[in-house]
Amino acid sequence: MAALLLMPARTWWVLLAAALPAHLLAELQSGVPLAMVLGWYVSNCSEALIGAALMRAFVPGPLRLDSFHSAGVFLLCGALAAPLASSFLDAALVKLIGWGQGDYLELVRMRFFANVLAELTIVPLIVSWVALGWRAWRSQPLVRHAEAVVVLLGVLGASLVAFDVPLFDANMAPALFYAPLPFLLWAAVRLGTAGTTTALAIMVVVTIWGAVHGLGPFSGGTPQDTAREMQLFLIVVSIPLLLLAVVLDERARTEREAHDQRLQLTHLSRVAMLGEMSGGLAHELNQPLTAILSNAQAAQTFIANKAIDDAELLEILRDIVGAEQRAAEVISRLRALFKSGETHMQRLDANELIREVMTLAHGDLVTRGIQAELRLAPILPPVKGDRIQLEQVMLNLIMNAAEAMTGPASSERMLTVSSIAVDGRAYLSFADRGPGFLPEMHEKLFEPYYTTKAQGLGLGLSISRSIILAHGGRMWGVSSPGRGATFHIALPTI
Amino acid sequence: MPFIAVVDDEEPIRKALKRLLRAAGLDAEGYASGQAFLEGAATRRPDCVLLDLHMPSMSGQQLLAQIRKMAGRPPVVVITAHDTPETREQCLAAGAAAYLRKPLDDRMLLNAISAALSKSAVPGRR
Repeated sequence: MAALLLMPARTWWVLLAAALPAHLLAELQSGVPLAMVLGWYVSNCSEALIGAALMRAFVPGPLRLDSFHSAGVFLLCGALAAPLASSFLDAALVKLIGWGQGDYLELVRMRFFANVLAELTIVPLIVSWVALGWRAWRSQPLVRHAEAVVVLLGVLGASLVAFDVPLFDANMAPALFYAPLPFLLWAAVRLGTAGTTTALAIMVVVTIWGAVHGLGPFSGGTPQDTAREMQLFLIVVSIPLLLLAVVLDERARTEREAHDQRLQLTHLSRVAMLGEMSGGLAHELNQPLTAILSNAQAAQTFIANKAIDDAELLEILRDIVGAEQRAAEVISRLRALFKSGETHMQRLDANELIREVMTLAHGDLVTRGIQAELRLAPILPPVKGDRIQLEQVMLNLIMNAAEAMTGPASSERMLTVSSIAVDGRAYLSFADRGPGFLPEMHEKLFEPYYTTKAQGLGLGLSISRSIILAHGGRMWGVSSPGRGATFHIALPTI
Repeated sequence: MPFIAVVDDEEPIRKALKRLLRAAGLDAEGYASGQAFLEGAATRRPDCVLLDLHMPSMSGQQLLAQIRKMAGRPPVVVITAHDTPETREQCLAAGAAAYLRKPLDDRMLLNAISAALSKSAVPGRR
């Protein structure tokens, strides 16, 4: 069934045909008559086909036990409906050929429980390992592998103690059932579906081995009673653990997806902001390019006219190198801001970040006729944060301030950026002399999609605040209408 | 030798442009702001002004308006690293002799200065 679930329906006949030689070889060696072997082949194939077809109808494509829905479909179709339907066929064939003992319904019941346990143990094990993939498993950190080994050894050890030792005290039996449970729960919470199905498979094998050898709590009764009790126990343990592992996996995946989407949105907002700054950035690159070109052309003319000495030529070359370095610095900062990637927390000097973003924003401020004043604390303890994300917040506040100052006369356009450290926190402030905002508008400013700009997305401040909150900090604005606005960031220092 | 005033708030640009003009046989002086230029022009009137648009406190456009009111009205070649069609129109309407975008090609710059100088030399155009 697992093979069918992983392959397209058009290849199922090949898989079923391929199973026949293996089936014949295995069963004929055990002395089973050919008619019975073929009968079992038919009933086993019908079980696999019924289960796979039902599941494919509800979950299109290869089955991945990656959601409550797909696990539920597997339990109902693969582990319940298919074994139930095929057990009737199986028992009928047994009675027809005359190979088994007992009445028809007893045969149905025995086959049903055995098949449910087999489907519950083998199918999720194969499907979850194929879904996980060899590469994903290999790429797990060493400590994760070590944890998996500890958990699986724990399941093995606890199962051996519980189910594979002679039962010396009948009163102990109920307590023994719980011995593997802590390790099984550990597997469900920490190792995902593949780890949980492996742990369950270990417990099932060990339990069956104990029962077959007359050891553990499943011994002492008739073979039929023992088998039924053991199968019921293993089925009852497997179903909730499998569902728990799948639901936890699903939740972790949803959280990962939400995290990735947040990162993507942050990146898109950053790229949009850099797009708005394109004019200023062009200015910032054109300035050093002008210095390079004019210096180089002056040198060409001087050399052609033999009107330059080595000292002056050296000075020109030095100036060219200086201008090139300035352009390269702008490009390197831009590249870093354009890149998307995971959050990388590191020790940072907030003053240095302010200076860096001011370099990038310089062109924009100059072209808008805005003067910038830096009032940075001479000593500012470092903060822990993601350089790019914090620079994004600062650039956002600078650009908002610049946008707010299109109204006032150019002599009054002033951006003041300050930093100060108080009580284990670094406070960074960005003050403009624009129209400001009413106190009741404060929270609205931080809402997504709220904007006062003609072409703004309205995400800048909302994303900025979520970045600062994720850094363990706070962000707020202060304003008296007509007197400009000041936005503050408070970040914990280390 | 014509005397050209280079008004740009960025020192590396002033230095490079002064070199370029000197290499072309022109006399050049640099000014870091509009105020510095107005003070300097009081003692030595330039024959042509090479004017950057984006400068703190007094912008290039404000200075252009002042230069147009100066005695002798030296021609102004506007240079900018942030070019927009509106600014170009405004500068030319305000009396700029030419409007050039940075980075500047030396031939284009010298041609613009030369054209500005020859125009300003025609009587009645000042």
